[in-house]
Amino acid sequence: MEAFAQWLEATPASLSMQQHQAWFIPAVQTLHIIAIALAAGSVLLVCLRLFGLAAADQSVQQTHARYGGWIKASLWSLLASGALLIVAEPVRELVTFSFWVKMVLVVCVVSLVAAFGRYVRKAAAVDQAITPATRCLAALTLLLLMAIIVLGRLIAYDHVWGSLSPATKA
Amino acid sequence: MDLHVFFKALEGSAAATTIRDSLLWFPLLEALHVMALAVVFGSIVVVDLRALGLTSRSRLFSRVASDTLRWTWSAFVAACVTGALMFITNAEVYAANTFFRVKMLLLLLAGLNMLLFQLTAGRRVAHWDASPAAPGIGKWAAALSLALWLSIICMGRLIGFTITGAASHEPPPASIDFDDFLSGPPAQ
Repeated sequence: MEAFAQWLEATPASLSMQQHQAWFIPAVQTLHIIAIALAAGSVLLVCLRLFGLAAADQSVQQTHARYGGWIKASLWSLLASGALLIVAEPVRELVTFSFWVKMVLVVCVVSLVAAFGRYVRKAAAVDQAITPATRCLAALTLLLLMAIIVLGRLIAYDHVWGSLSPATKA
Repeated sequence: MDLHVFFKALEGSAAATTIRDSLLWFPLLEALHVMALAVVFGSIVVVDLRALGLTSRSRLFSRVASDTLRWTWSAFVAACVTGALMFITNAEVYAANTFFRVKMLLLLLAGLNMLLFQLTAGRRVAHWDASPAAPGIGKWAAALSLALWLSIICMGRLIGFTITGAASHEPPPASIDFDDFLSGPPAQ
């Protein structure tokens, strides 16, 4: 992975981003944080509906119709801005323990969110979409999102993992 | 009390020393700050877009607002606490940082803007609750709120880059003491 990161770092795309890194990195990180906020806010409101803590006047389907598109759009924006950050600083991102654990959790959250979307679309009756299992999965999704945010920040502090961090070994 | 003395006292406090001396505290505070701001901004967007008439147009404004308000406020308190704890680790340098100052000013403006909304459209909400958008000045306040919060996030990220100087090629401002620099948080 280190070799790949170093190769990526030497590509013209990466080099041109590195040239402008003084404004490019903070700008893309800011977009990434805005997308995190939109994703977290939308997922939170759908989960709150499932817990019965918000939008009691709306069905789960209606709530999902309101926020589902935002969740999808913000996740795609996260992928795009995240990819730009990787190309701009491959070693800082890829040669860390935090990044890879984060990616595993991202795959879990995206699968959960996508599976829930399909489930809601299929559920015919208004309240069929809420079962205790759905609530547990909603809680799990929120916990995973929190863990993803922590790990995302820890990419900059990968040394906290000690020997688990490839950055520490290097 | 002299501000310089006050900031030094903050930096010397037990909480500031604990955070500075720990590998984990500062990154953890940053992560909690990001979580808090995600909920603050994520929930404010929902209400502002409703006031602008761009989403949830057929739902009562007051219902949309009541879904989010307590989350916005709890998360805002969390963001203030985590922000304050990061601030005290290097109070004098943060206070002298332009982006930090602009961010505080923008937060004040966001608060005043919210007050403006409450005193205008908010007061007459019963009259337009079911309309697709807030009337007149309420709409402007909602748009301004989005602009202010986006700028606040932007300033927040820039503080991290200028205080550590990690991504900046500019020399640090003369007010930065190198001892503060070295004892500060190690990364971006």
